[in-house]
Amino acid sequence: MKRFIIISLFATLTTPLFACAGIETHNHYLFRLYNMKEFRDRVDRITENNWIAYLGLDSTEYFWFQAEEVIAAAQAKGDDLMVSYVNNLNTYLECASEVYGENWEYPTKEELQERSKKLLIVRQYALSKVKSRLRSQHALLYMRCNMLLGRHAENVQFWEQTASKFIDTVYRDMMQNIYAGALTKTGRADQGAEIFAQQGDYQSLMTLYYKRRSFDAIRQVYERNPNHAVLPFLLQDFVNNAQEAYDREHDNDWPGKLFIRDIERDEAMKMAAFAAQVVADAKTETPAMWGAAAAWLNYFFGDKKVALRYAQAARNAAGTEMMKDCARALHIYIRSAVEAPSAALDDDLTDELRWLTAKIKEEMAEDKPFYDCEDFYLHACNRIVHQVLAEKYQAAGRTSTALALYNLVGSYNYECTLDTMAVDDLLKFYAYVKDRTTDNKLDNYLKSVLEADDNALCDLIGTKYLRLAQWEEGIKWLDKVPLQFYNEKGYAVYANFRKTDVEPWIKRQWLDEEHEVPFDQIRLAANPRKATAEEIMQLENGLNLLKGEARLQRCYDLAVRYAQIDLTGDCWFVLHDGKSTYFDYEEPNHQPNELSFAEKAVEMLGQAATSKDFKLKERALFALSYVYLNPDCWYESEWDRDLGDYKWIPVPSSQQYKNFAALLAHEKTAPNQTSNYVSRCDQYRQFKKHFR
Amino acid sequence: MCTFVAQMKTSRLLTTFLFALLCLLTTGCQRSSRLADGNAVYYWRTEWRLDSVETAFLCRHKIDRVFCRYFDVVMDDATAEPKPNATITFGSPMPEGIEIIPTVYITEDCMHARHEDLARKLVQRVVQMNETHDISGVRELQIDCDYTHNSRRTFYAFLEEVRSEARHHHLRLSATIRLHQLAMPVPPVDYGVLMLYNTGDPQRFDERNPVLDSRDVQPYIRYLDGYDLPLATAYPVYAWQRTIYGVRIEHVVEAEEILAVKQMVERKRDDLRHAIITFCLDTDNIQRYNTETYEAIYHH
Repeated sequence: MKRFIIISLFATLTTPLFACAGIETHNHYLFRLYNMKEFRDRVDRITENNWIAYLGLDSTEYFWFQAEEVIAAAQAKGDDLMVSYVNNLNTYLECASEVYGENWEYPTKEELQERSKKLLIVRQYALSKVKSRLRSQHALLYMRCNMLLGRHAENVQFWEQTASKFIDTVYRDMMQNIYAGALTKTGRADQGAEIFAQQGDYQSLMTLYYKRRSFDAIRQVYERNPNHAVLPFLLQDFVNNAQEAYDREHDNDWPGKLFIRDIERDEAMKMAAFAAQVVADAKTETPAMWGAAAAWLNYFFGDKKVALRYAQAARNAAGTEMMKDCARALHIYIRSAVEAPSAALDDDLTDELRWLTAKIKEEMAEDKPFYDCEDFYLHACNRIVHQVLAEKYQAAGRTSTALALYNLVGSYNYECTLDTMAVDDLLKFYAYVKDRTTDNKLDNYLKSVLEADDNALCDLIGTKYLRLAQWEEGIKWLDKVPLQFYNEKGYAVYANFRKTDVEPWIKRQWLDEEHEVPFDQIRLAANPRKATAEEIMQLENGLNLLKGEARLQRCYDLAVRYAQIDLTGDCWFVLHDGKSTYFDYEEPNHQPNELSFAEKAVEMLGQAATSKDFKLKERALFALSYVYLNPDCWYESEWDRDLGDYKWIPVPSSQQYKNFAALLAHEKTAPNQTSNYVSRCDQYRQFKKHFR
Repeated sequence: MCTFVAQMKTSRLLTTFLFALLCLLTTGCQRSSRLADGNAVYYWRTEWRLDSVETAFLCRHKIDRVFCRYFDVVMDDATAEPKPNATITFGSPMPEGIEIIPTVYITEDCMHARHEDLARKLVQRVVQMNETHDISGVRELQIDCDYTHNSRRTFYAFLEEVRSEARHHHLRLSATIRLHQLAMPVPPVDYGVLMLYNTGDPQRFDERNPVLDSRDVQPYIRYLDGYDLPLATAYPVYAWQRTIYGVRIEHVVEAEEILAVKQMVERKRDDLRHAIITFCLDTDNIQRYNTETYEAIYHH
């Protein structure tokens, strides 16, 4: 069984170093034609502003509609019409809250009849005021009552004969929305849908077209009206679902699509051909949308070069701004995927990336509700870089360009690749960052926007040398980094407290609450990486000068340091910025481009265990049995149904078993001298129980 | 003589004891009665409105009982008390000859503490809904809750109260039983519905279908024999659509998988073949599987 041990949630949250395989999709939908912002949000915002204006309040003073507050203000103004309107509105809202709200007292039949009676009175009142100063508000109130009463046909008639002639206000928009709903309930769903689409009422469209988003449905709508307002909604939904089908076939990027059933290849290709035909027929006002659909579907299921041709044409075709941007983003993606790297591609890409990053800035600056996570341009850029560009430049031997692209989109791959790449490659990237005089337009642009901290790079280069036990070279780079850099690191709290000379097999250095110091109060005495490197270098340099027991003691001391700075040790921060809760202790030695210090510790302990000194030998043998130096456990456990507990099954072939056996043999030579840390060790006690 | 009298007394005592035992057993049997044999469906939408496909489905598969979700009970953040949510509306009349079994889903956090009067309010609301909408012939109430070891005691105490309230209205009580709940003592209800869906870990959907996978059912099979409560079984026919990081994922169980699980559980406990429910009635679900599959699922 895997043993995932949470070393530090804190470390995981600050710098999740090994979470490269973490959950982050780059497979965002690129086919976006439609503004999915909720109609309701827009309406709420405007009506709220109207009330604020009427009450003469500051926006920070207004929380929500309160009838009493408005009535008081209206009375103060002598506005009798507003008083009667708000009174009736309030009655309607109470009825609506009974209908839509939830409470334990479910209405009786009589109460339902009473509610209908109240609504009829309000309805009658509202109808009598549709020629008053507040005609739009009263007309809306009339339609709302009809809606609750299920009198949809009357709403259709009222809108068509009266309300549609009112001036443009938010109340008119709301009436039109109720009218669209009434149309769908009176057999004119197609017309209703068109209005929902024009209004951007995405939620209503989703409900209305819940089961009607196939190629056939789209074709039928198109044949009725080539410029029907629901077509962008339907097409967007279709194409993005086709992407799901493609991903299922290609096991692309995101697991779990095995269960997608919606759109299959054949249907997607029919749609692609149809979209191309629509463009050719020239009846549509938005060929950019259809051309982009043909391009993207061909890219997935057809000929990628044909896809590029369609994308090129769609980019320059007519459509809404959103459609044209979508076509442009798709063109970047497809062209990057199809064409080999060249100076021309680099030049064009530079312009396209400039455009995308400018759009991202605009997008970020928009005042969006917190749940609006559309971020189209950000997602487009992220997908283009991750799925196409980075890999392409990497394959062409331009690793630094690939890294700069990751940096451009703020990708976690940037940090991750930097951390795991060979030190020589990192030195090349460092030179790339420093050299501002290249004649490649793309590289120049990427460098101009690159966010890289010189201290962080120097620290990482130095640390990479330490990971290879090249202490002297590492110290040279770490010397360039100011102490404050380390004070601000997430691991500073550990570095502040933990020591590399503590034997990890005897004492763990858990961080208790009292050791936790706020970030801004941490003052490290020295660069923890450099200080450790200097100490180990000194111990190593003296090793070959020593002889006999003194040498063996030095081996043991070095083993303690190696075990501590290994990722399994408490001082993991010497070589890494963080440690994930997903770190697998059974397979700990898989970090690329670094030595296994656990293995080095074992090697040193092996020498120390030859000591003639009982205590040193005991310590060394005990250390060799330490769980984190033995990925192969001395036992396996198996559930015993009869016992109702796990059963221990010794594995004599495992190294830990052999080490425990050696320790046991050593203890038997002087039973009275066994140290407490040995006799109290639960694993050792279990081992003795099962040793045969 | 003394020996004979003693024997007579012993014999009479034994007879009395056996009679008492028989009475007790009979009473015990009456206490728990399983769902009558036959076919049923869950109805889990917020508006009661059947289309022609759904009506035909009920007829074709001889479905005469519908477990209809009336409302959910969720915690109200403002009052820290449970409140009803997503109450069904009735847009079309109940079809003839169908027994409605009102079903109430209660979120587990409602059972983290005891809530005064909750059982009475819940039963009263169900009864009032029946009355307001002229739903007649209701003989049962079902409670659905994903209770855990932490909430089980509170939930069972709540069920006792619901049962007592329901009796006043001549309603018997049933509850859903999830696989992990098989390892716990049985709830105080007349029978349970073994939920053979939502069996997997939604986080690990790339490895196993979270709706149903026989490998997830297998570890719980051993509890079936000793689970001392009459059980009906419910199988999934729905698709679970969800969006993860902007990607739409849909989980659908293969017909073969449903039937494999059916065979697995029925082999272990024969009475699980008697009363069968599918989750849930919907045209899409009906069209998702062919008639033969439905016949196989409903095969007794």
